[in-house]
Amino acid sequence: MDFPIFHIDFIGNRMLIAVDAILHVIINHALAVGALPIIVLLELIGIRSKDLRWDNLAYRLLKIIFIITTTVGALTGVGIWFSASLINPAAIGSLIRVFFWGWFTEWVVFVTEVSLIMAYFLRWHSASKSPEAKLKHLRLGIFLAAFSWITMAIIVAILGFMMDPGNWMTKRTLLSGLFNPMYFPQLGLRTTLAMVMGSMTMICLTYLFTRHDLAFRAMVLRTISTWSSAWLAGLIIASIWYYQVIPQHMLANIPVAFATQEYASWNGRLKLILIVGLLYVSRVLWLSVKNPGKVHGAKYLVSVLLLFAMLGQFERVREFIRKPFIIGQYMYANGIRVEDYPLLQRDGILQHATYASIREITADNQVSAGREVFEQACTRCHTVNGVNSIRGQLKNMYGEKPWQSEAIAAYVENMHGARYFMPPFPGNKAELDALSVYLSSLQKRAAAFNGAQTNGIPKPDKISASTFYGTLPNLANTHGDLQ
Amino acid sequence: MTTPIPRDIPLPLPAPEGFLEILLIVSFLIHILFVHLMVGGSLFSLVCQIRGLKSPDYEKLAYRIMQTVTVNKSLAVVMGVAPLLVINTLYAPQFYASSALIGDMWMAVIPLVTVAFLLAYAHKFWWNHFINIPELHIGIAALETGLFLFIPLIFMTNVNLMLFPEYWPQVKGFFSAMLLPNVLQRYLHFISATILFSSLFFVWWSGRKSFQDEVGFSRLRVISVRRFFYAFAFGATVFQILTGLVVFASLPPQGMSWGFTLLLMLGGLLVLPAMWWMWQNLTYPSHLLDDRVKEITTCFVCAAIIMGIARHDYRENALADHKSAIAEKTANYQAAVKDAGEQAQLTAITQESQTLVPGESAFNLNCAACHHPTLTTVGPALQEIKEIYANNPAGIAAWTKAPGKKRPDTMKMPGFSQLSDDELTAISQYLLSH
Repeated sequence: MDFPIFHIDFIGNRMLIAVDAILHVIINHALAVGALPIIVLLELIGIRSKDLRWDNLAYRLLKIIFIITTTVGALTGVGIWFSASLINPAAIGSLIRVFFWGWFTEWVVFVTEVSLIMAYFLRWHSASKSPEAKLKHLRLGIFLAAFSWITMAIIVAILGFMMDPGNWMTKRTLLSGLFNPMYFPQLGLRTTLAMVMGSMTMICLTYLFTRHDLAFRAMVLRTISTWSSAWLAGLIIASIWYYQVIPQHMLANIPVAFATQEYASWNGRLKLILIVGLLYVSRVLWLSVKNPGKVHGAKYLVSVLLLFAMLGQFERVREFIRKPFIIGQYMYANGIRVEDYPLLQRDGILQHATYASIREITADNQVSAGREVFEQACTRCHTVNGVNSIRGQLKNMYGEKPWQSEAIAAYVENMHGARYFMPPFPGNKAELDALSVYLSSLQKRAAAFNGAQTNGIPKPDKISASTFYGTLPNLANTHGDLQ
Repeated sequence: MTTPIPRDIPLPLPAPEGFLEILLIVSFLIHILFVHLMVGGSLFSLVCQIRGLKSPDYEKLAYRIMQTVTVNKSLAVVMGVAPLLVINTLYAPQFYASSALIGDMWMAVIPLVTVAFLLAYAHKFWWNHFINIPELHIGIAALETGLFLFIPLIFMTNVNLMLFPEYWPQVKGFFSAMLLPNVLQRYLHFISATILFSSLFFVWWSGRKSFQDEVGFSRLRVISVRRFFYAFAFGATVFQILTGLVVFASLPPQGMSWGFTLLLMLGGLLVLPAMWWMWQNLTYPSHLLDDRVKEITTCFVCAAIIMGIARHDYRENALADHKSAIAEKTANYQAAVKDAGEQAQLTAITQESQTLVPGESAFNLNCAACHHPTLTTVGPALQEIKEIYANNPAGIAAWTKAPGKKRPDTMKMPGFSQLSDDELTAISQYLLSH
């Protein structure tokens, strides 16, 4: 509506942000929140036992953590900002206006976290000079582990609020995010999952690094496995707690959870992965505590991958259940506010879209007008030919039969009734018809669909250049003609 | 040619505008300082490593320089988050528009920086592994430096584009935005500042007491290293002034003001004593005992702060008209939204009093998407259903509760477990009676 439409038709906008965000969350949970306590633990045992092998191992593990978190980890975090502001600027812009200080606080904690990991890693060798220096260094590690967790606790508050529909309309504050009913269960689930993921990842790396010293390997694996088992018990409790809170809360607010086949199947799959995964990881850990030398490395690796999959599914469902909204009750996933609907459905979305080039729909321009309606209303989630493509959806519905525009129009007009995750169509009748004509034209041919990053924006007309209908303040006139 | 005027996000700013502007200037200056040290460090490490092929002491210097890059690059990233957040808040209509217009390259910043950082780690952590293959090692360093030099050009293109909405309609992708008047000049000005600030940083860094112990030169004297960096600092300052004048001359006129010009002159004047001291250090070696590095740095830091304020001043001037037009359009739009909302509410109330047929609204909400009166759409047409279930509403209700798949060429109907028996009966009766 108010921003040029960035669009990647191949992998889709949603997939771009999902890949970036899930990579970020996995690195954050497994390597920052979950793994740093292990490093501190190993360093502590090294100091107590005066056995240098513990210290060397801790340093090698930390080096990997340092390299990955300060490159891919940090950059995918910034990448969430970049991709969100390209894909749904209206949504992220609104959230920033409200959660500015929450994010600002998170930034301060983040700066502290990065400074601490640099100090902790880069001073490792110089701290070995004296026992006092070593203890001081250990304290740095404890602070680092704590700050990594605090970063997560703050972002969960922001996420928690975004997931708390209804409250956005009344109390737009961070504190209400902290006290929303899902905050503590979600934080509990993330904390315990991160601890298990982190320790499992460290077990895998330890397995790799200690292949020449099997006695030491058994010792370390038993220690980390014991730590991990304790957190796994917590994870099971937290998952049950979270499941207790999520369904009722979400079911009460969004009927998506039980009304769509798509979600129902995800829900089933998630539960299965969760239960099978937890059982498998429990068994591996139990064997590992009992007889650490005997467990094959592949089992550890499978456990880590299962945990990653669990987290990925969890994030996917968490994202999905907030639909059709991107901000509960305030803004739909298409970036249009609920409040704007009556106006747009009356006048038409193209009448108010700053960067549209067609305002009036005629018999001659229906297909290109329909393309513009598609661009404004559908492209935040759908592509033409790529991931979640609209052609694929239409093929599912109509197959090889001719795609009739009347039938498509009848569907789109009411689809939010049958598909609870779809926002209602935001335009007027003429636009609905144009969109349907465009969509039916896709059966025969689908030209490449490019976003503003390739096509640019149309030349400004009355509406995109005016501050009020009928008036035309020409900025170029006050500045001298630049063209 | 007219300018597109979008609407702003209709939510209040999280803090007073002036406060956010100060936050933006301060956090941006800190960010850019570490960016200079990161890019410049990478560049100097490469230069020293190439020199190290002939005199090995420079190779040792290159390694030490790379250690500072590891720290500065992480700070450059984290310090960049705050200005990004503030610019998202203060300039949403402009910044999101310019980012989208160069979207491919803007998004590429993330993988490019990640690769540059990984290369920097490979360059530093595996230093001794490359001892016998210096070509490869220098190749990695060159690639890393190349990326570090290119990434600021993307940022420069974006922050320049956001200033001039009147250019947006003519931009087609990153390269056309990069070639807009003023971007490349500003980029060269930025690069000379990078060389200036990083070489000054290395003058100070190599002047620390512990430096000789850390680096362990065999023949090279610390004083020559410092003069090496002073030479770069002096040259970069001259280049900085020249490119600064070009940027000033080529700036589009809409942001110009006397305040801005005076700020630039003041910043420029502050550089003069620093240049005099640097010149003395370069020409009279004895001065390096007391080389006034603190005073020189202070002059440049003050100049940078003034330039940072001037830059913001220009931005505010350039966007002043656009911002007020946006505010007006946003207010008008919000009024129209309110009006249409009230109108729709009235219509809904009148419609509600007219709708008396039970099952109609539930039918429209749950069924109409897939079942059209006469057309076969997603599911069969109502006509057809009526024929199958004539006088059998219970049959419809039973099917809806547990739908199967009858027709091979259509989708399976979803179950409607959220509908009660009464609702289902009402819907079935409505369906058959219309």
